[in-house]
Amino acid sequence: MSYHFIILGTQDNPLFSYVLGTSKQGGDGQARFPPSAAHLNQFVLHSSLDIAEEVQWGTGHLYLKCIDKFFNNYISCFVTGSNTKFMLLHQPTQQGPGVTTRSSAAIGANPTSPQTEEAIRAFFQEVYESWVKTVMSPFYGLNKEIRSPVFRQKVAAAGRKYL
Amino acid sequence: MSSNRAARLGEEIWKTRIDKVSAELVTLTYGTIVAQLCKDFDNDYIEVNKQLDRMGYNIGLRLIEDFLAKSNTMKRCSNFRETAEMIAKVGFKIFLNITPMVTNWTNDNKQFSLVFEENPLADFVELPDDGRAQDELWFSNIFCGVLRGALEMVQMQVEAHFISDILRGNDTTEMRVSLIRYIDDELPPEDD
Amino acid sequence: MSNLQPSKSSSAKEGLRYPSSGKTIYTRPLNRTKNAEISQAAFAYLFGEMISYAQRKVTGIQDLEKRLNAQGHPIGIKLLDLLLFREPARTQVRPRTIVEVLHFIKQQTWVHLFGRQADRLEKSNNADTPEEYMIIDNEPLVNSFISVPKEMSQLNCAAFVAGIVEGICDGAGFPARVTAHTVAEGEMWPGKTVFLVKFEIEVVDREAYLGDRK
Repeated sequence: MSYHFIILGTQDNPLFSYVLGTSKQGGDGQARFPPSAAHLNQFVLHSSLDIAEEVQWGTGHLYLKCIDKFFNNYISCFVTGSNTKFMLLHQPTQQGPGVTTRSSAAIGANPTSPQTEEAIRAFFQEVYESWVKTVMSPFYGLNKEIRSPVFRQKVAAAGRKYL
Repeated sequence: MSSNRAARLGEEIWKTRIDKVSAELVTLTYGTIVAQLCKDFDNDYIEVNKQLDRMGYNIGLRLIEDFLAKSNTMKRCSNFRETAEMIAKVGFKIFLNITPMVTNWTNDNKQFSLVFEENPLADFVELPDDGRAQDELWFSNIFCGVLRGALEMVQMQVEAHFISDILRGNDTTEMRVSLIRYIDDELPPEDD
Repeated sequence: MSNLQPSKSSSAKEGLRYPSSGKTIYTRPLNRTKNAEISQAAFAYLFGEMISYAQRKVTGIQDLEKRLNAQGHPIGIKLLDLLLFREPARTQVRPRTIVEVLHFIKQQTWVHLFGRQADRLEKSNNADTPEEYMIIDNEPLVNSFISVPKEMSQLNCAAFVAGIVEGICDGAGFPARVTAHTVAEGEMWPGKTVFLVKFEIEVVDREAYLGDRK
């Protein structure tokens, strides 16, 4: 599985972006998006925003689970109390030579299995903790880009741990 | 008063005679004050330090009375070493529930450091990543003014400034306090 | 590719320094000071300085209250997520209705900041102002330290708290203007304060729409 994680502010402005691959089931943590994916991913993630906004008023939970699918791209979403959105695009590796799929429900293989859903929940929850720490600083203003390398490391670590 | 006695006194007053509020209310309030100053002075951090010191000074002038009443120590400390212990183990304790360490005395007993293991003002804080704040802003500078103001009211002219801060990437948060002189008793203290 | 650091931080000398212990805001547990206490006096002194500083910057009472409000606002936005985060993960719930957001303020927020709930919530009786709600505090903690001079008797320094409330409403997606008003109730509650929460009309409309959909 390849992942593209972004954080969007309340004006849908990008605050943070990180690309990673599966670390579970022997994955090497490297994303295997096609070279052209960078812009496409951004586009796909943004086009899911309307759905996210629709879903978020239907449930009070922060984790909205998988809200959208575009060809082989699955979009999971998490909304913070103050309406910042965490969005994760996950794309199963199609003829992935590097990843051996042991079970169809595995996180690295099946983007909609309960295991994957739980793994992404745990990932978001851990990122949420780091994000709240960022926001608590009196110098952090709403919708400011998150540039801290430590925050980036924390996201990377959460990815290795759960995805 | 010995260091241990001061510590016991501080603990006792904190437990029995202090009305308390949520520490985070104080932390967030101080944070918003500093952030506002930075905004008002267009991130002129040197000026922000001055403003914080000035606010602290105003507080110090008023706080000393409260301190003396609560600590029941109307008698003057017999020397500057004792003053330092009272500041750290009673003063900081009863207002902020912390006890910075008193250390790094000069031989003439006129200068010491307060080293802050904990600092509720700075909880949750990361300085702006603008290439300047970590070199120029002393986030907790209000403390310097408080000491200066409070001690002036008990006839001590001191100078206080930070020399390191964890928020700046230093390994400690350390404030240097120097006794300039004892103010002559006959002169009335400046009116607040 | 997309892991590019944001372009603004491209210069190598930028970036914060950290102590060798590796301590950062990210290593500090968010619950460390959840129940920690400090003297009321410390708050009173800071709040007093905040007010007198603000006074030097403004021309009138309304202006002053606006400024205090603005200083509370970011605190509200921060608290919203801090307090949500502290709920057990499975029961973290975003407020979705006006009543839920007001309860979040009356209960979680007030208890966290002031050690007790606000006294009452009320909806405006006036049919022309369905967007108005009131949070009532008989004795706002923040005012217990402030003696307002006679010539400024209009001033209610709980405008700072109104700003916190407004920050929570705005943050949660219920944009509102919040103001603090003294409504003395005899000898018993001379400082009784009403926080008037005036939601933007779109909030009321959305609520009606979402309610119909259910």
